[in-house]
Amino acid sequence: MPIIEITFYLFAAVLVGAAVMVISVRNPVYAALFLVLTFFSAAALWLLLEVEFLAIVLVLVYVGAVMVLFLFVVMMLDINLAPLKEGFIRYLPAAITVAVVMAVELMMVLWVRGKFGSEAFESPVPHPPDYNNTKEVGEWLYTQYMLPFEVAGIILLVAIIAAVALTLRRRPEAKRQDPARQVQVKRDDRIRMVKMKSETKVEE
Amino acid sequence: MSLTTTLILIPLLPLLAAIVAGLLHKQVGRAGAHWVTILGVGASCVLSLWVLYQQMYEGLGTQDITIYNWMISDGIRFQVGFLVDHLTSLMMVVVTSVSLMVHIYTIGYMAEDPGYQRFFSYIALFTFSMLMLVMANNFMQLFFGWEAVGLVSYLLIGFWFKRESAIFANLKAFLVNRVGDFGFLLGIAAVVYAFGSLDYADVFGRAGELEGKTFSIIPGLDWQLATVICICLFIGAMGKSAQAPLHVWLPDSMEGPTPISALIHAATMVTAGIFMVARMSPLFELSDMALTFVMLIGVFTALAMGLIGIVQNDIKRVIAYSTLSQLGYMTVALGVSAYSAAIFHLMTHAFFKALLFLGAGSVIIALHHQQDMRYMGGLRKHMPITWLTAWLGTLALVGFPFFSGFFSKDAIIEAVALSNRTGSEIAYWGVVLGVLVTSFYSFRLLYLAFHGSPRYTVDAGAGHHPPDGVLQHEPHESPAVVTVPLILLAIPSVIIGYFTIEPVLFGGWLSDAIHVAPQNDVVAELGTHFHGPMAMGTHALVTVPFWLMVAGFVIATLVYRFRPALADYAAMKLPVLHRLLENKYYFDEFYQSAFVRRSIQLGNGLWKKADAGFIDGWLVNGSARLMGNLAARIREWQSGYLYHYAFAMILGLIGMLTIWVIRS
Amino acid sequence: MNGSLLDSVNIGNWMLIAPELWVLTMTCVILFVDLYIKEERRGIIHLLGMITLIFAAIITLRGGYLEEGATQAFAFNDTFVRDRMGDVLKAFSYLVLAGVYTYAKFYMRQFSLFRSDFYTLSLEALLGIMLLISANNLVMVYLGLELLALASYALVAFDRGSQRASEAAMKYFVLGSMASGILLYGMSMIYGATGSLDLAEISTAAAAAGSGDIILLFGMVFLVVGIAFKLGVVPFHMWIPDVYHGAPAAVTLFIAAVPKMAAFAMAYRLLQSGLGGLHVDWMQMLAVLAVLSIMAGNLAAIAQTNIKRMLAYSTISHMGFVLLGMLPGTATGFGAAMYYVIVYSLMSAAAFGMVILLSHHGVEAEKLDDFKGLNRRNPWYAAIMAMVMFSMAGVPIFVGFFAKWLVIKAALDAGLMWLALLAVIFSVVGAFYYLRVVKLMYFDEPLAESSIEAPVDFRAAISINGILMIGLGIFSSALISVCMSSFT
Repeated sequence: MPIIEITFYLFAAVLVGAAVMVISVRNPVYAALFLVLTFFSAAALWLLLEVEFLAIVLVLVYVGAVMVLFLFVVMMLDINLAPLKEGFIRYLPAAITVAVVMAVELMMVLWVRGKFGSEAFESPVPHPPDYNNTKEVGEWLYTQYMLPFEVAGIILLVAIIAAVALTLRRRPEAKRQDPARQVQVKRDDRIRMVKMKSETKVEE
Repeated sequence: MSLTTTLILIPLLPLLAAIVAGLLHKQVGRAGAHWVTILGVGASCVLSLWVLYQQMYEGLGTQDITIYNWMISDGIRFQVGFLVDHLTSLMMVVVTSVSLMVHIYTIGYMAEDPGYQRFFSYIALFTFSMLMLVMANNFMQLFFGWEAVGLVSYLLIGFWFKRESAIFANLKAFLVNRVGDFGFLLGIAAVVYAFGSLDYADVFGRAGELEGKTFSIIPGLDWQLATVICICLFIGAMGKSAQAPLHVWLPDSMEGPTPISALIHAATMVTAGIFMVARMSPLFELSDMALTFVMLIGVFTALAMGLIGIVQNDIKRVIAYSTLSQLGYMTVALGVSAYSAAIFHLMTHAFFKALLFLGAGSVIIALHHQQDMRYMGGLRKHMPITWLTAWLGTLALVGFPFFSGFFSKDAIIEAVALSNRTGSEIAYWGVVLGVLVTSFYSFRLLYLAFHGSPRYTVDAGAGHHPPDGVLQHEPHESPAVVTVPLILLAIPSVIIGYFTIEPVLFGGWLSDAIHVAPQNDVVAELGTHFHGPMAMGTHALVTVPFWLMVAGFVIATLVYRFRPALADYAAMKLPVLHRLLENKYYFDEFYQSAFVRRSIQLGNGLWKKADAGFIDGWLVNGSARLMGNLAARIREWQSGYLYHYAFAMILGLIGMLTIWVIRS
Repeated sequence: MNGSLLDSVNIGNWMLIAPELWVLTMTCVILFVDLYIKEERRGIIHLLGMITLIFAAIITLRGGYLEEGATQAFAFNDTFVRDRMGDVLKAFSYLVLAGVYTYAKFYMRQFSLFRSDFYTLSLEALLGIMLLISANNLVMVYLGLELLALASYALVAFDRGSQRASEAAMKYFVLGSMASGILLYGMSMIYGATGSLDLAEISTAAAAAGSGDIILLFGMVFLVVGIAFKLGVVPFHMWIPDVYHGAPAAVTLFIAAVPKMAAFAMAYRLLQSGLGGLHVDWMQMLAVLAVLSIMAGNLAAIAQTNIKRMLAYSTISHMGFVLLGMLPGTATGFGAAMYYVIVYSLMSAAAFGMVILLSHHGVEAEKLDDFKGLNRRNPWYAAIMAMVMFSMAGVPIFVGFFAKWLVIKAALDAGLMWLALLAVIFSVVGAFYYLRVVKLMYFDEPLAESSIEAPVDFRAAISINGILMIGLGIFSSALISVCMSSFT
């Protein structure tokens, strides 16, 4: 099925290219947008594997929520990437050396010496039309991987506690709203009726 | 109280006392500290005497009791246990009784010292360690006691840690003992290698297996296993018992307070080596070569160290060199297989040497910590008790007939004479000449300290630390806590030899602990000539050693009583000899230049190259010369930058990948 | 292999993870209780923390979950495993954490950091440790690790006012994320090579494939790196000095003492239970890491003047020794390594406890000079510290000696004579800086004459901790046999 292979290589190429751009562009907003593109490409690759649920969640959560939030932050904080990138050129030779060595080794492992290429694994059999990926994922999560699933929940709890513990601070001088008090407020708390005599005409 | 409980209590009581005095020193106070340790050691002494009594009169046999099994590893048992035979019980009594005397004496000697409780705690701990050593029934516990004794002696020698010289001395003692311990540890390792066991009973029982066994460290060069084991063990003994050339720590260790000198050098630590060799007699008997080695080391020490004693001026150092020389005698006895004679001399020596040390201490107190004999003299009328007991101790030391030292030393000399070990002729002349030397320096000490005209001057206006030879007031006799131990020690110094020579040497008292091969058994041969102590004493009047002793006395009297100029004249006429002796044969200088300076250089080199160069330079500061650009990176990693850390991790990962994945 | 829903709610499963459930429940309870108590009654939180640990210990050690003849019990479709090793390590984690709480309470009150977050976060970390110890599935290993790591990052940054702490937390977080990324990548490779996440199935597949399977080997390198980071061995140790130094002493105490036990369990599960078939290969990797750690750790520690940094480098070398024990891949070897890691935890708890004890007026006693003349100020505390240092240096009769001895013996058993020799040489080098502390305490003049004060529970805990150093040495066979019998 050449159409599938063409699609795969297309999205894979876009994914890698976008990932390179994320770390190389100067403007942080562009970088964030390229990251969005990376996620999209990854989602597309997942679709090729018929894992719709994950593909959609990736787009919804990462692109829809996380990256938007990230973009907000980038825009609100005027981050100057120039000083961060100062050493980029200086360290580039070392980085490239490392990267090349790593890439060569990976290739050796995956293609030359190992049996990890596409010929080593059978292509996945396409699922029948009534296959429901969402249901499948759900079943696995609540049976085989129930405990890990719960633990992942606990990790989120820890993340919340950590975030609160690290950022919540009571500033006595800060003015804060108290919705309960706002709602309960009565007219008498706010308005004082002052009765005074109306002015009388001054006798001349 | 069962026997096991008694045996546990004997070492445990001093330990508990040490803990109480050491940790609760504020709560118990000064008096509390000395009471608790004296009671602890005293009780332990009484119990030891009880055990000895049981063995002597009630027929109590050898006790081999395992108290606690520590662990079993590869079939080797590590345990805490006691082996109490006649040798052990004798040692226990010697150790605890001398220690008790030292404890009492310390009350007087250390009265003004701020570290009073600490001192009592240490000496009680010392007693505990020594008891663990002598009561051990296995090599591991022996080693524990051995190390513990070394550690506490280290603490004690450096007791006055504000004195530079004391710190130096304790470091020296520590280092030299480490050298010995290394040999000892190798010896124990060889025992484990040969027998697969650490248990005395097991090892000695199968000692015969060693016969003819060889092993090679360097291929092609086979060693008798027994010889290797024994020489290694003996190197340990050389460290502890201060045999040349590992003797250098002992004179310096006189920096510690005097009670310690008495405890370490008379009764406990230095005897550990002798005791250990005697305990290992079943092994040593298997190797003539090792025994010859032991004998030659011993005779060299006995004679050479005695000679140094002649030129020393520090009263404690003279006694220290005398200790070295006497230890040499014991070692010679071990070398000719006269183990029981060595133990016998060890016992008598413990009493009279403790007496002499404590006597010297008494003099030192009276003269306000003046130790130089050139500033003493004429103390006889001021300190009659000290004077008298010192005389008794000296007579015992030089081997005057019927004094305890006479019996033991004469037995050793006779045993050497009867031995037919290679080189025993040299050893015989060495020990005989040693008698002359001993006699000379001993009487020299007496004359310089107690007789002649006073060379200290009294100046009531002088401060607390007057210049040499100046005192605030006339010296006077020490208090009762000092003199009573002197008297109590003087009694056994005089009589114990007379009463114990027969059972200890010839009555087979030690035969359950000491094993002597029949062809080596010189003591038994000696026994055939023995007709009671009285006969031995009277017979001495016609022997060479006696007249040499008298000669020593005469020369000393001549030189130091009537013609003091003679000594200087002799020193002037024999400058080379005098300088050689003054400098103690240059042992210290040799070690300094050969080992200490070298290792300091090595240490400095390592520090500069390895620490400053490698750690700071290579890892931290970066050395462009060496690793060029990369090293500069590494330097920056250490400066706390996150990306350097991350880079290090990546490099590590890639390195590992390259090595293992690509290689395979 | 798709387990049924019914199996997940099987009561037996929940019985097996009762300790974990208990800790989780109590964490939530503490979270809520804290909302309703006043500042000055925070002591209740401490009490609740201790109660949690005590009951967790009771639940864990109750046992009786094993079927006749079995040595392990599985739950949740084999993602979770209970065995003797896990129980012992968990029990010691509770014990050490209880010590940590006692020391930390004193510290936090002094530095006005006494907040319930410390307790909730450290209990969550404990939960992570417990799950990691009991993980029998790559996913569980990863999640347990993350749970532990996340809580640890937050704890390091716990003192919000301290820049140094924030910096340390940041470093820890970034490096930790990288390490867990590496670990995860390795896991994916292992999954690719064996087709399973279950350690038992991986073990079967790995044994069949052997060293010839390069993908497996490739993945294993990544796993080893992940483990090495968690243990903190060279060259994946960079975070340790900075984090130990930067974090508040109470947190350093926690991070130094407790998670190492989980890291050991993780190494055992992944390398032995999972990749036992590749023992020859990982033995070599661990050998190299062990050598580097023992050398670099001991050498670098000499140059330190800050005791927290010194202890950090000493940790690095200790972890090298732990690896030494794992080399042979035998029951005795793992027993020795487990013994070492437990002993290490107790030792480092005591050492950092002493650092906390000497802190005063809101200043941490982190300079070596702060220990000068301690004997003059308080001989008992000096004695405790001396015992800890002797034990760390591996002086005979102290417990540290037995730990070192057993792992070196394990290395000898594996035929690595040179490695054992090197370990001995460098432990002698290491003795130098431990004994320097003893020298400072006994022979130098104190910088401060003030007496050292601490609440009674602190004093009791540190005394017991110190006495354990020699007590466990004298009666060493008990703990050794517990550890040895955990691997059969």
